[in-house]
Amino acid sequence: MRHETMLWLLILVPAVTGGLTLPLTSAQALLRALCAGVGITVALGWYVAGKVLLSGPVCAGAEWLYLDALSAYNLAVMLLIYGLCSAYAAVYFGVEWQEGRLTLRQARQFASLWCGALAAMTLVFISNNLGIMWVGIEATTLLTGFLICVHVTRESLEAMWKYILICSVGVAFAFMGTLLVGASTHELGLRAPEVLLWTRLHAHAALLNPVWLKAAFIFLLVGYGTKAGLAPMHNWLPDAHSQAPAPVSALFSGLMLNTALYCVMRYVPLVEAGTGNTGWGLRLLVGFGLFSILVAAAFIVFQRDLKRLLAYSSVEHLGIITLGVGLGGLGTFAALFHTLNHSLCKTLAFFAAGRLGQTFGTHDMHRLSGAMRVAPAWGMGLFGSLLALIGVAPFALFMSELQILKAAMDGKAILTLVLFLFGAGVVFVGALGHAIPLAWGKAGPVARPDRIGILESLLVVVPFGLLLVLGLWMPESLQAALNNAADVIRQTGNAFTASAGGMAP
Amino acid sequence: MISISFIPLLLALVLSPLLFGVINRTKAFFAGRRGQPLLQLYFDLWKLLRKGAVYSRTTTWIFRAGPVLGLAAVLVAAALMPLGNFPALIAFPADFLLFAGLLGLMRFCTVVAALDTGSSFEGMGASREVFFSALAEPALFIALVTLARQAGQLSLSTIFGPLSGAHWLDSGPVLALVIIALMIVLLAENARIPVDDPNTHLELTMIHEVMVLDHSGPDFAFILYSAGLKLWLFAALIVGMVVPVTNSVWLDLLLSTGGVLVVAVIVGVIESIMARLRLVVVPQLLVGAGVLAAMAFLLELTLKIHNPS
Amino acid sequence: MTTNLILVLVVLTNLKLLGSSRLGASIRMVALQGMVLGLLPVLAHLQNLSVHFVLLSLGTIALKGIVFPWLLFRAVREAEVAREIEPYVGYVASLVAGVLALGVSFGMCARLTMPENIASPWLAPVALFSIFAGLFLIVARKRALNQVLGFLVLENGIYTFGVGIVAETPFLVELGVLLDVFVAVFVMGIAVYHINREFDHIETDRLDRLKG
Repeated sequence: MRHETMLWLLILVPAVTGGLTLPLTSAQALLRALCAGVGITVALGWYVAGKVLLSGPVCAGAEWLYLDALSAYNLAVMLLIYGLCSAYAAVYFGVEWQEGRLTLRQARQFASLWCGALAAMTLVFISNNLGIMWVGIEATTLLTGFLICVHVTRESLEAMWKYILICSVGVAFAFMGTLLVGASTHELGLRAPEVLLWTRLHAHAALLNPVWLKAAFIFLLVGYGTKAGLAPMHNWLPDAHSQAPAPVSALFSGLMLNTALYCVMRYVPLVEAGTGNTGWGLRLLVGFGLFSILVAAAFIVFQRDLKRLLAYSSVEHLGIITLGVGLGGLGTFAALFHTLNHSLCKTLAFFAAGRLGQTFGTHDMHRLSGAMRVAPAWGMGLFGSLLALIGVAPFALFMSELQILKAAMDGKAILTLVLFLFGAGVVFVGALGHAIPLAWGKAGPVARPDRIGILESLLVVVPFGLLLVLGLWMPESLQAALNNAADVIRQTGNAFTASAGGMAP
Repeated sequence: MISISFIPLLLALVLSPLLFGVINRTKAFFAGRRGQPLLQLYFDLWKLLRKGAVYSRTTTWIFRAGPVLGLAAVLVAAALMPLGNFPALIAFPADFLLFAGLLGLMRFCTVVAALDTGSSFEGMGASREVFFSALAEPALFIALVTLARQAGQLSLSTIFGPLSGAHWLDSGPVLALVIIALMIVLLAENARIPVDDPNTHLELTMIHEVMVLDHSGPDFAFILYSAGLKLWLFAALIVGMVVPVTNSVWLDLLLSTGGVLVVAVIVGVIESIMARLRLVVVPQLLVGAGVLAAMAFLLELTLKIHNPS
Repeated sequence: MTTNLILVLVVLTNLKLLGSSRLGASIRMVALQGMVLGLLPVLAHLQNLSVHFVLLSLGTIALKGIVFPWLLFRAVREAEVAREIEPYVGYVASLVAGVLALGVSFGMCARLTMPENIASPWLAPVALFSIFAGLFLIVARKRALNQVLGFLVLENGIYTFGVGIVAETPFLVELGVLLDVFVAVFVMGIAVYHINREFDHIETDRLDRLKG
């Protein structure tokens, strides 16, 4: 199949699945259809991503669709997580349906919005036009808004309102940034349809107007940073994550934050080349990253709700990824590696939190204690993922954070190093203090007994296993893929040109 | 020439009591009545000047001096205001600051005389009056400064010359905003609706009227006359932005005088179609006028930067 | 010259929004602002007029002048919001803040070099001012519908900037943006409906159960 068709299919299949789920009449059928649609998309996406990572960028749709190493890598990670989350959603909502806590209308709302969100996120990754990329992000905001309040309660409505308002404002700022980038191309004299094409901008980046570009980057960083959960724009994150059902929280943390940060990453090489490679943009990234880490550390210590704890942990890890990109060199490589690790780990954590929440009937950590005694599989999943999140070896997160530390030392950024270690240390102590009673405390009151199926065990073992394996051994292909992706941001490696309708030489 | 610069002052002195007649006639027309004669205020002034004054035992010389000093201040201010193409009697750079200061002095004399009576009634009116004027001052100053920048001149007599028709085409929005701000300031400073009702004598609603309740006879005549002069001066300020248009000075003078009367008609119309605003809302209106003037100033700054001409 | 008039009108409507409290009047002000801004694409590109710009103008006017007020008034009716609510920042203070924001916008835009064929030197400052005013309205008002209006003003400011200065954004992107704003307002209207049904009010400062 030609690559152009495949790229279009990547968007169409989820959208169509979302539409097809509407007339179905039982939640089981809905969830199975959802998994099927997502499965097809995952297969297609991995195929295309693999081709791109091996042979170079792909262009399609009169240069409006484009997949290079960076977007292919992120696309692959996203699809992996989406597949895991869809399987988990089938389990989680299956339990709720059996207990009668899920109505058909809610199930349909969930299924259609879930598939729509997949289509929108794919659009973000495969679009070359920065404006369409923005449209994708805005679409994810609006579609996932109602995913938060699948179960309509006071708290979920409050969370949904904060999320929609804050993220819409943030995304509006990001659009202003996109416009400013367009305004900085005046000296290039590009024709109207080409002004926002990333490939064109990248080819002529040195000729962009630096003043406009700097103003643009500030708007972009604040705007997309709101969506990515960087402090101080992260206020919607804890509320949205704690009130949404567990599959949706996993989606947010594992995917959407990364997607928003990907948009920032797309602009970094443009800004760097446009401002003469002085590292102005990178310093901003380091600043926001460190601030996020420190703010998250402060809030983690005093948490009471398990999912809010995980939400603040997401803020911290997104800060780490931003810090990595800002440090450059090995840091960019490590940041991209960290997106994979964090997504895997965070989704596992949310899976466990969700199922344990169903077992215990609450997410309050004082009452959710002794999970290992009551539900061994998920309890181990939760404890293991918490350990991994705070950076315990030999999990993969430890490796990527170590690489970022090394990048900081290589760049002689001692203050950054110290602050990062301080923040990570506070998180270590605080989260561990919460995690140990969670796993081994006195067994709390159980709402319903736990029954584990094969699928659920797989959902614990697979991410856990991957994290362990990646922490100890990095496969050659993954390393090459990461290097290619990082090169797009770092602007090292061979310069490439993209031609329409086929693969680049 | 000295002689022709007496003309604006002369016109102001003679014609200002006519303005109140025009306003009252306009209001009567809207109400379907016949209304007072146009020259009523002249008759009132003549009657008051021949009466004796009554002074309360609690007042001092301040109360007697207030109206006289106020009239003196506004007369000097009238000597600063040009009309049509005729320059004012006294003109020097930055004389608009003196103009605003003299009007402030007049207000001060009225307020101090009101406080001197020792009655809480007048004190309440004085405090309201001073509060509203404090809010209206920035609007007046910013508007005048914007005009000065627009014309590139610093004296009232020369500011209105360059503001011709071509200027309106160029920076119409700026001048329109300044006119609206000045109109609101006119309504506030002269105690017209929607800031104050000149006909009411209820305690809760009076501002200006209450301050002059105790004056009688010639003192009251001075106060009425200076109020009329103040209205003429503000109207002339607004008219000056529109009028110097034709080449003939006498036609311009005629047009300016007519313009001042038209401003009086507009005030009458506003008084007829609006009700007085609640006292808590008046500060919002005045701050709004200040904001409009500030906006005009900012817009004008950018225009000058982009088209230095 | 007409562009100048339009921009002055935009600033005036923003100031009125900052200083006024009544919901109905505010919705009409935003609608007026949207309609007036809808004329910008045609006016800013009178030299190279094309179907693209005319369609964009008509679409914007229809959407912002007719559809959005209809959606918002429907939300007002369903939420039965009647009484005035004291905002976080009083109206006089809001007006003064608005003038300061206007000054800051003019100051900031004086440092940017504008492209030569720009329709008016006031475009960038007025756009930036709308953005500030919209942000201020979102932060300083307690009622959810007022916050939605603030969001619309923010989008208007960005739209002004886009149409006036970046003349060359592709048609499809602008359509996508308009559609997104439409859906955003629609979604917000539904959210307000749900919030009102659940809580019996739409004052967001009383949505305070999630803390920490």
